[in-house]
Amino acid sequence: MLLKMAWRNIWRNRRRTLISVAALALGVTAIVSLRSIFEVSSTEMARGITTGLIGHAQVHGRGYQDSPEMTNVVPDPVTVEARLANALPGVTTERRVVGAGLAGSEDVSAPVAVLGIEAEKPGARSLLTIVQGRTLDAARPREVVIGTGLARELGLSPGGEMILVGQAADGSLANDRYTVIGTADAGSSEANQTMVFMRLADAQSFFGLGEGVHQIIVRLPTGDEDLSRPVSVLSGALDLSALEILPWTSILPELKGALDAKRKNMRLIDVIVFLIVSLGILNTMTMSTFERTREFGVMASLGTRPRRVLAMVLAEALMQGVIGLCAGAALAWVVLNAIGTTDFSSMTAGTDVLGVRIPPMRLSVTAGPVVEAALVTFVTMIVGALAPAIRASRLKPVEATRYV
Amino acid sequence: MTMSIRTPAWSRSIKLQVWARGKDFALIRVLEGGPRETGMMTLKREKQLWTWLPQAGRVMKLPSGMMGDSWMGSDFTNDDLVRGDSFVDDFQAAITGVEKTGGRDAWRVVLRPRPSAVVVWDRIEVLIDRANCLPVLEDFFDEDGTLARRMAFSDFRQIGWRLFPFKMTVVPAEQGRETSIAYSEIQFDVDIPADTFSLQRLRQGR
Repeated sequence: MLLKMAWRNIWRNRRRTLISVAALALGVTAIVSLRSIFEVSSTEMARGITTGLIGHAQVHGRGYQDSPEMTNVVPDPVTVEARLANALPGVTTERRVVGAGLAGSEDVSAPVAVLGIEAEKPGARSLLTIVQGRTLDAARPREVVIGTGLARELGLSPGGEMILVGQAADGSLANDRYTVIGTADAGSSEANQTMVFMRLADAQSFFGLGEGVHQIIVRLPTGDEDLSRPVSVLSGALDLSALEILPWTSILPELKGALDAKRKNMRLIDVIVFLIVSLGILNTMTMSTFERTREFGVMASLGTRPRRVLAMVLAEALMQGVIGLCAGAALAWVVLNAIGTTDFSSMTAGTDVLGVRIPPMRLSVTAGPVVEAALVTFVTMIVGALAPAIRASRLKPVEATRYV
Repeated sequence: MTMSIRTPAWSRSIKLQVWARGKDFALIRVLEGGPRETGMMTLKREKQLWTWLPQAGRVMKLPSGMMGDSWMGSDFTNDDLVRGDSFVDDFQAAITGVEKTGGRDAWRVVLRPRPSAVVVWDRIEVLIDRANCLPVLEDFFDEDGTLARRMAFSDFRQIGWRLFPFKMTVVPAEQGRETSIAYSEIQFDVDIPADTFSLQRLRQGR
């Protein structure tokens, strides 16, 4: 009966109700879409990082992250990988060698970063988007894939010959000749300008590392955002006096920081949007209760308890809230689908020399932001309607019925 | 001659043979080094450096941007090889005093770069033996005025009418590093075949 009255009341001034519901709906749309874009982008970014160059975590020789020296290697990757797989079944690993050198031909040369990868593993293959030629083949030695920018600078194309000079781990001068078999987009223009990819074994022999590798990329079977538990399980299996294991959030702290800061900004926007909406609600509800002062007086004289009046006014506000929320969420869905996909690669610019590839992502409304918006709407409606509702419930029948 | 390099991570020595004509032409050949280095040659032709890479079987020209980088992992830079004795052109010298070094009198000479010179140092302080006018010690100061590296000359020996330092040591500011060069034999005024410093010959790896 109370709900029925409230329902009828909100449609007595249809235009006003629609306006305030529309304001609320737009607020909800704004927040749900912003949140969803952010959630989707950060999940996708994390996926790009964890499936790409960085992995969920990496094992290095102790101190490598702070000062990456050629001589600081994981000497026996086989044992380490076995221990990791034992500690947390389902993890996959990839070995990497990271080095630097000078590459070119007799007349032109340029400083390069050399990445030795296990070409047979899909994670390593996914680092390379081949533009020309073909990708590395684990069975064919002394072949390289180079970044497109580097290929242009050195005037090399697939089939060409590249000389590489660098310093080996024992201090001697490493030099060798390779066949360029492909050019690749390595994810960023800096990477394209400097990257030389080769088979892990070739890189190990070039830099004189034996079986040693600089990084063991660890990929977890799940897409969990919280890495602290798996990383601590894995680190329990390692000899931490000689090795270190770091989650990607420690390897790219700037990116993690950027995401956290963005999340904080998002909160602030939420607060501002809903502050505006709640002022609107306050206005609407104040108006509608003032208009009905006489009516409330009559209700009170007929014996309606103040508590029921209060409940009725709040119910009116909440009903508008529910309508606004549904409309807003629906609108957000429409908006996000209209935008379709979005490219967030700019968010990662400048965070890592090797570049982190972020694919354009498909937007969708996720449950998280909607639930959040629902909670905030509820609070907003109560806050906006409370003062007018209290006022209405406290009216004295005699005065109120005489109110014009 | 033998070059010994010591760093915190590794230390090694390589045996080198050097031919030089005047200040503009030189060829350095690695007689004994790591397996991939033996036979490596660095050719200096005026201001340019070319390297024969034995493993690659190719010649590579050193890009100008790499001049300040280490030569073969030592504490000598490529620039040291190329510039050698351009002190006279690039610096203004002033004698600031006389000191005792190793029981002998030496001038302390401060070299400051001329405005036009392309030099990375703020100043170089050189100790020159008064009796024979040969440098004993060179201190290189970087733009902040801190000592960046010290080059010392010792084991002076008489070869014909010349007195020549048989040992040269470079100690950079970086902890735990040192490179020294010790000559085992040196000959002056030798006839060197004309094609020694040619690029064609370098390309053949001989």
